[in-house]
Amino acid sequence: MSQAFSFAVAALPWLPMAAAVLLLGIPKKNEPALKATAVGACVLNAAVVLALLVSLDPRSGQPQFVFRADWIVSLGITYASGIDGISAVMLLLHALVSTAGAFVAVEPKPRLKEYLIFYLTLVGGIYGVFTSLDLFFLYLFYEMTLIPLFPMIGIWGGKNKEYGAMKLTLFITAGAVLALFGLLLLYAHSGARTFNLADLEILLKENPLGPEPQKLIALLCLAGFGVIASLWPLHSWSPIGYAAAPTSVSMLHAGVLKKMGPYLMIRTAVMLAPEGTRFWAPYLAVLAVIGILYAGYAAMKQTDLKFMVGFSSVSHMGYVLLGIAALHPAAMAGAVLLMFSHGVMAACAFALIGFLYTQTHTRGLGDFGGLARKTPFFATAFVMTSLASLGLPGFANFAAELLVFIGAWRTYPAIVALAVFGILITAVYLLRAVQQLCYGPENPRWPDLKDFISSREKFPIILLLAALILFGLWPWGILRWIEPVLGRILL
Amino acid sequence: MMFRSLIFAPELILALVLFLFAAGEIRVKNFSNRFALPFLGTGLAGAAVGLFFLGKTGGSVYSGTFTSDPFACFFKYFFLAAAVPVLVMSRVFFCGRPDRTAEFFLIFWSCLLGLFVTVSAQDFLVLFIGLEIVSLSFYVMTAYLRNDSSSAESGIKYLLLGSLASAFLIYGISLFYVLAGTTGFEGVKACFSEPSQRTLCLAAFLFVVSGIGFKIAAAPFHLWVPDVYQGAPSPVVAYLSVASKAAATAVLVRLTAVVFVPLGGIKPLLFSGLAAITLIYGNFGALGQTNLKRLFGYSSIGHAGYLLLGIATENPASAESVLYYLIAFGAANLAVFFVITLVEKETGSAEIGALAGLSRRAPFLAAVMFAAVLSLAGIPPLAGFFGKFYILAAAVQTGLYWLALLGAMMVAVSLYYYLNIVKIMYVSESFSGTKPAVTAASKIILTLLTGVTLAAGLWQTPFLGGIQNAVIRLLGPDL
Repeated sequence: MSQAFSFAVAALPWLPMAAAVLLLGIPKKNEPALKATAVGACVLNAAVVLALLVSLDPRSGQPQFVFRADWIVSLGITYASGIDGISAVMLLLHALVSTAGAFVAVEPKPRLKEYLIFYLTLVGGIYGVFTSLDLFFLYLFYEMTLIPLFPMIGIWGGKNKEYGAMKLTLFITAGAVLALFGLLLLYAHSGARTFNLADLEILLKENPLGPEPQKLIALLCLAGFGVIASLWPLHSWSPIGYAAAPTSVSMLHAGVLKKMGPYLMIRTAVMLAPEGTRFWAPYLAVLAVIGILYAGYAAMKQTDLKFMVGFSSVSHMGYVLLGIAALHPAAMAGAVLLMFSHGVMAACAFALIGFLYTQTHTRGLGDFGGLARKTPFFATAFVMTSLASLGLPGFANFAAELLVFIGAWRTYPAIVALAVFGILITAVYLLRAVQQLCYGPENPRWPDLKDFISSREKFPIILLLAALILFGLWPWGILRWIEPVLGRILL
Repeated sequence: MMFRSLIFAPELILALVLFLFAAGEIRVKNFSNRFALPFLGTGLAGAAVGLFFLGKTGGSVYSGTFTSDPFACFFKYFFLAAAVPVLVMSRVFFCGRPDRTAEFFLIFWSCLLGLFVTVSAQDFLVLFIGLEIVSLSFYVMTAYLRNDSSSAESGIKYLLLGSLASAFLIYGISLFYVLAGTTGFEGVKACFSEPSQRTLCLAAFLFVVSGIGFKIAAAPFHLWVPDVYQGAPSPVVAYLSVASKAAATAVLVRLTAVVFVPLGGIKPLLFSGLAAITLIYGNFGALGQTNLKRLFGYSSIGHAGYLLLGIATENPASAESVLYYLIAFGAANLAVFFVITLVEKETGSAEIGALAGLSRRAPFLAAVMFAAVLSLAGIPPLAGFFGKFYILAAAVQTGLYWLALLGAMMVAVSLYYYLNIVKIMYVSESFSGTKPAVTAASKIILTLLTGVTLAAGLWQTPFLGGIQNAVIRLLGPDL
């Protein structure tokens, strides 16, 4: 049985890509078939992920359902995939967001077929990143997600799409090649002759690298993957990129792609160069808290909803990065839980904003009003999303942020004090947005504004909010997976 | 003696085809327009068969001046494979033009012969003969379009600068002859061991590298590239960018692995420096270009930088990585210039704006260009990614950290101008209402090239097997 599970894990990235190839054969006029294939592929993959997660043994910190095959023997590259506790959380996140995103992606747009092909390739690539246990393939899938992103934003994006797409792609690539250099340094210095993460872990535990190489490698990996994690000051691609991107791309990017940054930081810097990471951790913590406050302040000044949520996501990533910088089990558990909960919440937020934008073609904060009466479903969802984002207990974000603060307090008390202040800033801009959108007099510009009517429109929102509430009331559901892995990583 | 000469079989077959083609052109009416492609295609196949049966034995003839080892065979297969798309491209290009095609194919064929001789050379004079045959053929092909002033201009520029480079090369060779008493590779290698002759040897080495560096489009010998790439006919540029570069790379790899080994630390230092300035110049130079052919000229310079990076690395894997890079680069660049040829034929312009909206008027061509350009940028899962990865990994292994970091950063820089092309194809409005005419043969070739780009990116092992076989005996005695 576990053999079948290993194959399933190895196949996870390829199923959506196979569906993309399938889409090539469907004529572009046959929109129902295109939509059914795309959504079906995402739902199928999500179902496989759920089956795998149910069968996962949460008490083991080791990767499970491992598939391994030699790929290039002379270099030591293997095709290795598997799931451990942390990747389980990420896979659950991606399953939820990609499914919700698929429902949003099939909304009418020109050149739908090409959009769906790119979307499925992107979804597949991200599955590859979260299941891969070999550095070469980890990097391959990571960079591969860039291919569909650029045309998706460039063709179907909104204002400033060309600039936004180019900036996003170039920044993330620059970070990625920096990290690649770091990984190649690791390969060369360790004398490992293998890129397999499991082998490297064992080797480096017995013969860790010297402090100087570790510092360099950790710096390169933290900075390189920090770009996509929107570590301040490498974050400027994020607000403009998200504002320019079409809705389902923003959902996937803010929800999942950004979380690849901290995930890869953990897999590379924390696990393979721990001493080096410990050296840079204080700097990372300082940059994280600057990001929280700076991006929070910038979000307060925004009048465009998407820019506001974009800066808000940069700000929240600061908490995640602070959690990682603390290198403490509670803080890191909180960081991973926050990756999950913020990802789900951000996807939901972008879906809601996109819903408004499709009808009104505006995202200005002052352009709406009284939506609680006019579009109650939207307003309820928006209020819930905002409250989740600012960490109201009952939503998963609360447990996550609390854990980050508790874990980081011992090492960085001053920084945590400042970071907690960030929650206040978040409350300011989110509650203001809630008030301006949902309450007050109805804006006469939109007399025909429709609410979420069909269950197809409502489903993604309900799915995401349900996940937030479920794990808000039961954070142990996710934390139980993370704890054993942290025991393995953090000595 | 008779059987040893059979190592020459591929070259003899090529020469035979050359003469038969010329004879056919004289005797049969309209021979080249009707039969060129099938005839030359058969010639290529014949040469490949000859190569397969006879070329693998290794060993050399004529007192060690000409060899047919697996390394040379790899490159000969490469040149034959690259010739196929270029022949189809030329047919498409010359269709409807007043220029005669017979002489073009004859000169192209002699270029192919020259390339074969170059990679098989074990002696500097044979090397020079081969390189000169290639260069002279390219000079003529560049200036081939009589009624086009830019073609003539770029031909003259190429001739003048190329002759200067050849002069440097032959001067270096003559210095080696003075020092070693022979022009054979083994003999020249011995002369480096004499401490009294060190300075002169070094000078000769520099002259030779300058001459060959010109052909590989390395900085600071690259000034001819943008102008020649812009003015020459597109099929010529395609073959020039791929085959000439590959030949020069083969020569440099062979020389650094066999002849220049006693130089020690100076060799990687020199090539690292060349690689660094080539990478910077090529990638930053491409940023502002608006003419497609010029842009890909600068991009070629950038790619030469990676090849030089691989040559600078003293590591058994680095030679493999260079060959892998050539496969990836060759497939992608040929596809790019094929699309440029077709679009140029449709719109009459090779400016970047001619590609605008290509995804709408010719989705197949846009997809081919998309894959090719991303492969050149080094984006997985395409072949260019593994080529760059392998070269950078080998460089980091050997300790060339700054150079590898530079190579990695240039990926991001080059991504800008490659993505710009993607943007113009997919995002911009269509340039014209016409559609480029794509024949069935063109479609097949473009599909094959894209297939290689994808295959070499996803399944590296089959390609690596052939490459390792080619390299292992070259470096054997020196490992």
